Amino acid sequence: MTDQHSTAHGNTAHADHEHHGGLGLYIYVFFALCVLTGASFFTYSAAWPFKGENQQWVGWTFMMAVSCTKAMLVIMFFMHVKYEKSWKYVLTVPTAMMAVFLVLMLIPDVGMRTEHYDEVRKRNAAIDPHADRDDADHDHAGERPGH
Amino acid sequence: MSTTEHAPPIVLEYHPGLPLSRGKTIMWLFLSTEIMFFAALIGVYIVIRFGAFTWPKPHDVHLSEPIGAFNTFVLICSSVTIVLAFEMAKANQSALAKIWLGLTLLLGGVFLGVKGYEYQAKFAHGIYPSASPRSQLYERADLKYAAAVRMRLTDIRADLEKLPERTEEQEKRLTTCNVLLNQFVRPLEKKAVMADTAAERQAALDSLAYGVFHTEPHHGGDEPSVEKTKLAAEEDRLKALIVSSSAEREAIGKQLATTEDAEAKGKLQAEYDTLGRAVDSEIPKMIELLPQLKNGLMSDDNENAHWLKLPLMIPSGNMWASTYFLLTGFHAIHVIVGLIAFALMLPMTFTAKNAGILENIGLYWHFVDLVWIFLFPLLYLF
Repeated sequence: MTDQHSTAHGNTAHADHEHHGGLGLYIYVFFALCVLTGASFFTYSAAWPFKGENQQWVGWTFMMAVSCTKAMLVIMFFMHVKYEKSWKYVLTVPTAMMAVFLVLMLIPDVGMRTEHYDEVRKRNAAIDPHADRDDADHDHAGERPGH
Repeated sequence: MSTTEHAPPIVLEYHPGLPLSRGKTIMWLFLSTEIMFFAALIGVYIVIRFGAFTWPKPHDVHLSEPIGAFNTFVLICSSVTIVLAFEMAKANQSALAKIWLGLTLLLGGVFLGVKGYEYQAKFAHGIYPSASPRSQLYERADLKYAAAVRMRLTDIRADLEKLPERTEEQEKRLTTCNVLLNQFVRPLEKKAVMADTAAERQAALDSLAYGVFHTEPHHGGDEPSVEKTKLAAEEDRLKALIVSSSAEREAIGKQLATTEDAEAKGKLQAEYDTLGRAVDSEIPKMIELLPQLKNGLMSDDNENAHWLKLPLMIPSGNMWASTYFLLTGFHAIHVIVGLIAFALMLPMTFTAKNAGILENIGLYWHFVDLVWIFLFPLLYLF
């Protein structure tokens, strides 16, 4: 049953597909994806210029932009979303909004958790061993039992 | 009126509500739930990670960027092959469609194989979400960590000593355990316990943690490490100790030759033997171990020390392991499901009529690829 009407409908869809799919386009997209993967990998290489202490965000922003571009290429061309009718917005826009809201809702309790840490918890939390320990030593001197 | 008389009978035609097949509708509904599922996982990872005081660098947890990039490439290729399988099916070329489908199955298998290899590397270093009271990963160099290292060494030693006879290798390992305990862990632990100030205590514990395993400095650069200087000083001290101990032993030897009293002779002999052990075996062995301590005993450079399986100090390592295995684990489950579907479809004959099934599984597979597109930079490059 399903097959019957899907193919009946599918035939018209195929007519659509003829002029937009095709090997050539897939190769272009594949090539673009490879170049973009190389681009995000570039941030790992020695040639990446933004390695300074407060410049990490440059790499992070760059990589996320690259990832979003790659995602859009896959969604648009491999998943054929570019050629779908407007139903695509019904499914993708609300889910995308929910995804963003979910992260935003986590920020106060999870993302900013360390801002509510008490002294004991801070003292036992993981710290960067390469960070300047002077402050920590000053804070903790004489606080532990037996010293 | 006349027009209605001549009108043809009404023919009912079925129009689906959406301009797409039921199978595709269901797949897209499923994918929209999947978007929220992975958005939640990735979102939680981002929020946890950027809310933490510190986070391990990829190398600290044995993640290799080139391997991750390779796996990304493999998944991109598999995305192309599955879309080509669909195109071939639409063109009624079943044999070609099967080849592309088989290739997709193969590439998915390669991805899983690489993932398995990566997991193995983590497990080998004691990095996994642990259910035991304490995992092998410690958040900071404190006395608990020092005690854990000591207890691990005494456990290995006890196991080795229990053996009725030991092979040459086991004998070597026993010596290594003793040397590490007597010349490295216990002195530093003692120094930490006896320390007068918090800074002194932390310095001793830092040295201990550094010798076992150390994470990379976060902002690159080869700043001269305090610990490397300390280890160089330790080498000088040990070398001087050999000289002074040898001299002492010689003096005791001379005394031994001239002493007549049996009791005094026994005491001197015992002292002479202890010094001999230290000078002949323990201290030279410790000097031998110093370069390994400079790299960190458990670092990748010291494959021959990995049997020690000492606890590691990786700040935020436990949280890292939980999020890493959750994210990549769920992704790997999706890959496995996709591979099962490919394998089940491989015997089918594909035509333009049933190409829809390839399109649907293709949509799923592209989504799996999509998730990895975000996981790769987030886990390997951030």
